[in-house]
Amino acid sequence: MLLDRSHRPWAILTALLAGVSFLLYAVYASRAPDGPRGGSAPGLAFGIAASVCIGFAALLGARKRRPHYRLGRVATWLKGHLWLGALSLPLVLFHAGFRFGGTLTSVLMGAFLAVYVTGVMGLVLQQFLPRVMTQSLPQETVFEQLDHVREELLAEAEHMVKGEGGAVARPKSAGRVQGRVVESRAAAAEAGPDRNALSLFLERQLRPYFAKDGARRSRLADASARAALFEELRRTVDPALHPVTRDLEALAAQRDQIEMQRRLHLWLHGWLLVHVPLSYAMCFLGAVHALMALYYG
Amino acid sequence: MPLDTEGRLEGEPLALDQLRGIPVFEGCSEALLKKNLGAVVRRRFRPGEIICREGEFGSTAFYILEGEAEVFLRTPVAHLEGKARVKGLFGGITSFLQSLVRREETRARKGTIPIDAPVDLSLDRPEATLSAGDLFGEMTCMSFYPRSATVRARGEVTVLEMLRNILDLLKRGSKGFKEQLDRAYKERALATHLKAMPLFEGLTDDFIDGLRERVSLVPYEPGKVICKQGDHADRLYLIRIGFVKVSQESPGGEVILKYLHRGDYFGEMGLLGAGKRTATCTALDHVELVEIGQEDFARMMAEFPAIRKGLEETARVHTAENAKRLEQLASVSVDDFLEQGLMQAQSLLLIDLDRCTRCDECVRACAATHDGVTRLIRDGLRFDRYLVPTSCRSCHDPLCMVGCPVGSIRRRDSLEIVIEDWCIGCGLCARNCPYGNINMHGIGGGAGEEGAAGKEGQAEKGGKPAQKAITCDLCAGWKEPTCVYACPHEAALRVDPKEFLIRR
Repeated sequence: MLLDRSHRPWAILTALLAGVSFLLYAVYASRAPDGPRGGSAPGLAFGIAASVCIGFAALLGARKRRPHYRLGRVATWLKGHLWLGALSLPLVLFHAGFRFGGTLTSVLMGAFLAVYVTGVMGLVLQQFLPRVMTQSLPQETVFEQLDHVREELLAEAEHMVKGEGGAVARPKSAGRVQGRVVESRAAAAEAGPDRNALSLFLERQLRPYFAKDGARRSRLADASARAALFEELRRTVDPALHPVTRDLEALAAQRDQIEMQRRLHLWLHGWLLVHVPLSYAMCFLGAVHALMALYYG
Repeated sequence: MPLDTEGRLEGEPLALDQLRGIPVFEGCSEALLKKNLGAVVRRRFRPGEIICREGEFGSTAFYILEGEAEVFLRTPVAHLEGKARVKGLFGGITSFLQSLVRREETRARKGTIPIDAPVDLSLDRPEATLSAGDLFGEMTCMSFYPRSATVRARGEVTVLEMLRNILDLLKRGSKGFKEQLDRAYKERALATHLKAMPLFEGLTDDFIDGLRERVSLVPYEPGKVICKQGDHADRLYLIRIGFVKVSQESPGGEVILKYLHRGDYFGEMGLLGAGKRTATCTALDHVELVEIGQEDFARMMAEFPAIRKGLEETARVHTAENAKRLEQLASVSVDDFLEQGLMQAQSLLLIDLDRCTRCDECVRACAATHDGVTRLIRDGLRFDRYLVPTSCRSCHDPLCMVGCPVGSIRRRDSLEIVIEDWCIGCGLCARNCPYGNINMHGIGGGAGEEGAAGKEGQAEKGGKPAQKAITCDLCAGWKEPTCVYACPHEAALRVDPKEFLIRR
């Protein structure tokens, strides 16, 4: 979520609550004869407040499972998730008296910090990655469709090499408009120039590059190497086929975009693979911690 | 339309003498009949045999000579549901409760489905009977729209199947044919048509009986202006066949206000107001109108104050809406919009790509709202940093509405375009949408030939897979569409594009 002006009230409220909590903690810590402890009344109060914040933050997952329920805008829930989650850190530290304690509490604190750090990381990534994707992926498509689009591009390349014409997707720009469009091309004449070089290029370079994991090994994955390879191809084919080589180069560039989209998408969402399971673990450990504290306390 | 190997109509060809022996051809020019002998055939159907199927394309009309046929919708009048609904105990309970609500809604369904026949089908039991002297398939024959319903022989049925040249010949040349059709309409369908419109349901049978003799049925050719903005208003129109375009002049040119189809009415605003037409109405295809004169309209207004009040209120709302639309159109530069037809949009879904994390919560929310079937695909062209996803734009000129054989795609009393549950899945609206924002979705199994009288919605073995059209209805009934409401990153926006661009 982009941090913009709409977050100002949340940020002010969080800062105020954190400031007040800090003052209370300072007073409590200075007057506690044995130092601040989680089991003391003020320590428990900080613990309960932290649990409420964490509990609300954890509810975001449940809210997103029922996106159509009119229980408040999901964006508001996410803002609450961010800022109450942020507030939970000082509250947890005040509750623990800046100590990790025994094994369980140490593990719990470790999980909490990991959740916190991954959450902050995700937030930071969300500040700039969407913009990077918008600017560098004009032909971006639905993530789940990437493999399908890759296969379509290969089929398109095969058609072009065989001279069967077809369609090519190009980024289109008209004023402020851009996106994917399909340009139809007339089928090439049967008795055209020799296409052997093109066929060879397709088999040796393009097909491996368009394979599922082909982008890692192919020279075409590198923009300058790709330009050089196509320049070399143009020198070997009949000039009448130069437009076809340019279209093939456009397809290869689009293949490159698919890979780039995949990478950026994984960055944008990969942190959740750590953040979410750790959150579950933290909630579980937190509940165990609370029960044990009640039982032994 | 069944054709033989030489492209002729399949059936029993009729010689000139045989044709002349059929009463409806009385008065037709012998020379013209002779020229068009191959354009009409006699066909006999055994009990249970299908005469025509809904959704199929054709170019012929049928005139029943003998016997009775039942007309029905084989596509179930049902709400489109996906399979992603029931998940876990909570989901199961929710689904069950929602199905109870839906069943209540279904029970409460009232109204009629307009079809290409002299009768309309009732929404709760979409079937009716056609008998000797009935003509059906007129719109398919004249304007090549898909068949609006399935017709099946009840007993032994003999029909004349004819191409457009014969239908034209009959309508223009036959002495008795047009009169017979008009009479049949007035006797059988006029009351249903009037009472199918909520505003006119309070009309008494006595009043309608009086109207029968005085209304006139008038045909209009495609492109013909029925009434012009500023002209003297002297009658109310009820559409019996075809589509009518309602438009107004604006400084930027013609603005389409709406499309009307069978069962709709127009012309009331001029009669209620200053006596001048407030818009131009044009026949889009072969249109036939029931015209109710000014005197009868005035009598109706005097005798039925509730109807008058309703009409005045509707006219007031329409006037305000039209004024707002014209004002918006006049205030914006069109340059950048034209490229993508954004100018056409009234409610445009935009995704701010600088904010969007591509989480697809909007798509999931859409699916969750619409029984597991999403109406939104997060892909499309871009405008600046905004993605214009594949989702209905509620166009100013909703071309998708033109041609629906059962009038199931329409605007109710608000902006959103809805596809009603009686959609027969012919796909015409999806083909008509210039932006590819209407999709066809299978409803499971296949459409059988059981009809409403049989097992509704159950597929007959080997039946054609049933499908229905889906489009974004802006989450009608909610203050905000769910895709926007559920976007965690405030990236999804529903905007009036013109106001939005002015603000930017």
